[in-house]
Amino acid sequence: MKSFCPRSEHLSRRALLKGALATTAGGVLMNWGDLFGSAARAAEAAKDQKSCILLWMNGGASQFETFDMKVGRPTGGPFRPIQTNVAGTQICELMPKMAQQMDKVAVIRSMRTSQIDHPGGIHLMHTGYGPSPNIRYPEIGAICAKFIGGEKPDLPNFIKISSNGDSGAGFLGPNYQPFGLDHDGRLPPFSVSSLDPKAEERRNSLRQFVEESFTADRKVEVARMHQEAYESVRRLQKTLKVFDIEKEWEKYRDLYGDSKVGKSCLLARRLVESGVAFIEVGQSGYDTHADNFAGHKGLVPPMEHAWAGLLSDLHDRGMLKNTLVVWMGEIGRTPTINNRSGRDHYVRSWSTVLAGARIKPGVVYGETDLDGKDVKDKPVTEGDFFATIYKSLGMNPNKENYQGVRPIPLAPFGSKVVDELLA
Amino acid sequence: MAELNPKKSTLHCELVFEGAWPTSVAFLGSGRKLAAGNRDGVLLVWDLPAEPSKDAILPVRKLEGHTNAINRLVATDDGKLLISASHDKTVRVWDPNVESAGSAELIIDAEQREREAKKNPKGDALSKPGVKVATQTAQHVFTGHRDWVQALGLSRDQKRLISGDDSGLVQIWDLASRKEVAKWTGNPGNWITSACLSPDGQTAFVAEFCAPRGSFDRPPAQVRLFDVTTGKETLDFLKVLYPNIKVRDNSYGYATTWGQFVAQGLVAAEFSPDGKLLALAQGGETGTGKVHLMDVATGKLVRGISGHQSGACDATFSADGQYVLSVGRDTLLRICQVADGKEVAQLGKSRGGQFKDWLHAVALSPDQQWLAAADISGRVLVWKMG
Repeated sequence: MKSFCPRSEHLSRRALLKGALATTAGGVLMNWGDLFGSAARAAEAAKDQKSCILLWMNGGASQFETFDMKVGRPTGGPFRPIQTNVAGTQICELMPKMAQQMDKVAVIRSMRTSQIDHPGGIHLMHTGYGPSPNIRYPEIGAICAKFIGGEKPDLPNFIKISSNGDSGAGFLGPNYQPFGLDHDGRLPPFSVSSLDPKAEERRNSLRQFVEESFTADRKVEVARMHQEAYESVRRLQKTLKVFDIEKEWEKYRDLYGDSKVGKSCLLARRLVESGVAFIEVGQSGYDTHADNFAGHKGLVPPMEHAWAGLLSDLHDRGMLKNTLVVWMGEIGRTPTINNRSGRDHYVRSWSTVLAGARIKPGVVYGETDLDGKDVKDKPVTEGDFFATIYKSLGMNPNKENYQGVRPIPLAPFGSKVVDELLA
Repeated sequence: MAELNPKKSTLHCELVFEGAWPTSVAFLGSGRKLAAGNRDGVLLVWDLPAEPSKDAILPVRKLEGHTNAINRLVATDDGKLLISASHDKTVRVWDPNVESAGSAELIIDAEQREREAKKNPKGDALSKPGVKVATQTAQHVFTGHRDWVQALGLSRDQKRLISGDDSGLVQIWDLASRKEVAKWTGNPGNWITSACLSPDGQTAFVAEFCAPRGSFDRPPAQVRLFDVTTGKETLDFLKVLYPNIKVRDNSYGYATTWGQFVAQGLVAAEFSPDGKLLALAQGGETGTGKVHLMDVATGKLVRGISGHQSGACDATFSADGQYVLSVGRDTLLRICQVADGKEVAQLGKSRGGQFKDWLHAVALSPDQQWLAAADISGRVLVWKMG
C-alpha cells in the first residue's frame, strides 16, 4: 500500500516534532507558569532593549597570553606586549586588532573564582553559582532571555553557536532553554521543513485542529507546551534567513576574519539586530596543559580578529550601547609553565573582559602581582562579575527567581556590583 | 671522519645552563667547542674538556643579540660560522672565533642557588658573583622574517641556508653573500615548523602546520619539496601518502587523516648525506613521536623509526648516513639504524611524572666523536662516542 506521504516528508515531520519536543523537554516544573510571560515583564523589556553576546573561551584562555602579561618574569612565556589605543595599556602581541579596540572594553585583571576544574568552572561562569545537587541554576543566557528577551519572539531569545555549558534554563523551565547551532552556525534539522509551504500550511491546520479538539476537554500543561513548542518552531521557520550569512560574508570577511569564529561573530551581530536577547559564541581548545604557547598562537588570532570586528561593527551601527559583549572562559591558567610547555588550571587570579551596554570603556580594573600568582588589588568574584553584568544590562542583580518557594537572586547573595566598571 | 659506534658512547660531561629551557645545540667544527641556546635568547659557547671532569665546566662566551627563544642552531663543518633562528623574528650569523667585544657576568646556576638559599637562608647563594664570559655580537642579522623563526637548515655544501617563520614565509639565503636567493609563502594560516635543504642546496623540504583555530577549524598541514631556484613545488608527500586527500581542505575529517603522519607538526627535518632520504620528526604532544624516513624520489614512507613517548623534538642523520639520532619528550636520545630501523642505543634516562621531561635538541659533531643534547632541566648533556 502506498504511503500517504513520501518517506522523506514523513521523516521531516518526525524530526520537526522530535526537535520541538526536545526543546521543551528536560526542564523541571518550577517557573513553567512563565511560559507565557507577564505583561509587567514585557513592559520592562520593551523599555530599552538590551542584548548580550558571550564570547566563550572553552577550556580557559591564558591571561598571560592575552590581557595580563608578565614579560621578563619566569611566568611570562614567549609572547611580547604591544601598545593599544589606550595610553599605558598593553596587551599580548597575538591581539593586534583588539589593541585598536581597547578604548571600547574594560579588562578585569583581578578575577578570583571558586571552581578550578572544567565542569564546575563552566557551570560557575555560566550561572554565577557553583554546581549544586539540589538546584538547577539557570545560565546567564536563560536569565537574559527571561528578563530582557521579547515576548513570544520569532527567534529564540537564547542562542548558542558552537558553545558549551549544560545548565541551560535550569529551574526557569523550558521556555528559556538555549537553541543550539553547530560549529558552522548550521541550524538543527528539526528547524527546517522539507515540505512545500502550502502542504506545510495544510498540515499545520490539520495538526491544530486535531490538537485543539484533543485539548478541549483536557486542560493539561504538557499539551499546551506541545502546542507552544510547535508554534515557536513554525515562527522560527519564518526567520531562517537571518541564519544565512553567506551573502553578507563577502562584505564582512575582512572585518571579522576568515575563520569559523569570525562567521559565528557575524551571525551573532545579525541575531542581535533581529532582537535576540542572548547569543553565546564558543571557541574550544584553550585547555592547554601541553603546548600552551602554540595552542594560543593558533586560537587567539582568529578569535581576536572576530571579536575586534564584532565590536567595531556593533559600534558603527550604534548597537554597542545596548549590547554587552562578554569575553571569558571558565578558568585562567597557571603562572607556572609545566614540563609539557603547558599551563594548568588557575582561578586565584585571571582575566575577563566586558564591553558595550553600560560598561565604562578603556578601563583596566584590578591588578595582579609581579608573577601573576595572586590578585594584588580589587579582587572580583564570580558573583561580583555576574552582578556587574546584570546591572549593565539593566537588570537588578538582587531580583529573585524562585525554585519552588526558595528565592534565588540573579547574582549570589553578597555579590557586589563593580560600580567602577559602569559608566 | 671516524666510524660512529653508538654502543660505546659514554657521558662525558653535563654543562649547567639553568634558567629558561635549553632549546638548541650545535658543535662548532670537530674540535671540542659547543654552542647552546635557550628560551630566553641566551646563546653560550663552551670549550669541552678533553677528559671527563667532575668540575663545573663554565661557558667561555656569550653571543649577544637575540631577545627571545632560540629555536634552532646550525654550524658550518669547519666551525667558523654559527647560525641561529629565534622567536625574535631574526636569523643571526655568528663568527664564534672573532675577537671578543667585551665581557659580561652571567648566572647559569640560578636553580642551584635557589636551592642553596632555601637550605641556608643566611648564606650568599643568591648574591655571589656569576660567571664572567667574553661577549660578542652577530656578524650578520637576517631581518626579513615577520614572525617566530622556527625552521632553519644549512645545505651540506654549506652554501645555502633555509629559514621559515610562523607567518608561512620561507626564505633561501646565499650564505657567502648573505643575499636572498628565493622566498615564498605557504598555505595561509600555517607556520613553517621545519625546513631543510638537499646536500646540493637545490631542493628545499618544507613542513607546514598550525594549531587548531577552534573546533573543527584548522588549516591543512603541508609537507612538500620545492625547487629552490623557482620556488615551485616538486613533490607533495601528503598526496603520495593519502592519494584521496584534498590537500587544501581544512575540514576536520581531512585533518584526522593527515594528522596520522604529521601529528602535532613535523618539528625537525633533515636530508640524509646522500640526499636520498629525509628524516621527519613528529612533534607536539602526540602519542607516537615517530621519525619518518621518506624516499625523496618517490615521496613514499620508507619506514617509521624510533618513537618518543609524547613526541619527538629533534632528529638528525649521522655524518656517514648510517644512523638517525633523535630526542624527544621522553628524556631520551635514541640512535637507530637507517638500514632497518633498529634502535641500537638509547642515551639518557626518562625523568618526570606521567609526562616526562624533554630532550629538546640533538647535535653530532662533524667527526662523529661528540654527541650533545639540550635537556630542559637546565643541562646540556655531552657524550663521547666510541
